[in-house]
Amino acid sequence: MEEQVEMVGRAFVDHYYHLFDNDRAALSSLYQPTSILTFEGQKIVGVDDISSKLHQLPFDQSKHLISTIDSQPSSSSGGIMVFVSGSLQLPGEEHQLRFSQMFHLIPTPQGSFFVQNDIFRFNYG
Amino acid sequence: MNPDEVSKAFVEHYYSTFDSNRSALSNLYQEGSMLTFEGQKIQGSPNIVAKLTSLPFQQCKHHITTVDCQPSGPAGGMLVFVSGNLQISGEQHALKFSQMFHLIPTPQGSFYVLNDIFRLNYA
Repeated sequence: MEEQVEMVGRAFVDHYYHLFDNDRAALSSLYQPTSILTFEGQKIVGVDDISSKLHQLPFDQSKHLISTIDSQPSSSSGGIMVFVSGSLQLPGEEHQLRFSQMFHLIPTPQGSFFVQNDIFRFNYG
Repeated sequence: MNPDEVSKAFVEHYYSTFDSNRSALSNLYQEGSMLTFEGQKIQGSPNIVAKLTSLPFQQCKHHITTVDCQPSGPAGGMLVFVSGNLQISGEQHALKFSQMFHLIPTPQGSFYVLNDIFRLNYA
């Protein structure tokens, strides 16, 4: 059970940041109307508003480099907590931005997961 | 109290307990609680408290920079995401860290920690 949670966490993280860095609009497939994102302290609810927020971030290109991924089962049946740390490389920027992010994933009837909770923070030096 | 107030109160209680009476953290965990501390997975209140009280420093002070919280679902659970600095006595530089808690309500009207993940943020 534990290893499966770690595998799902890793697979999700790979998928999420790959979409973010290559096809940001497609992230909307990972959120639902009940999803909540807190991005640098700003709280946004629902897939439409979350997609708008991510689309409007002040950079068109990005590359996420992941340092650590920790996963645990949450109380909701089959839910998974995923805690990520890494760096965000933006074109033209000399220094990478370090960040931490947590996701609460909930299983869908189709056997996949959606993001119910998403909290993102930069780690300033 | 609204969720933001609850999470702030929890964070203050958690870190002041950690910094002054670490073994009293046992009240905040239960048998099914899980801690991942710098990648090491520990389950259950006694094992979690054993890990936290055996960390290689006697005295410390947590300074909290940010606290974000969200409801985790219909059962009344709360997610709390913290970033801050950990000052260890005798160490010149504070260690930056991030930590997430998943709090579950108890019948007595309080919360316990079901999920706890801690990571130092290296430069």
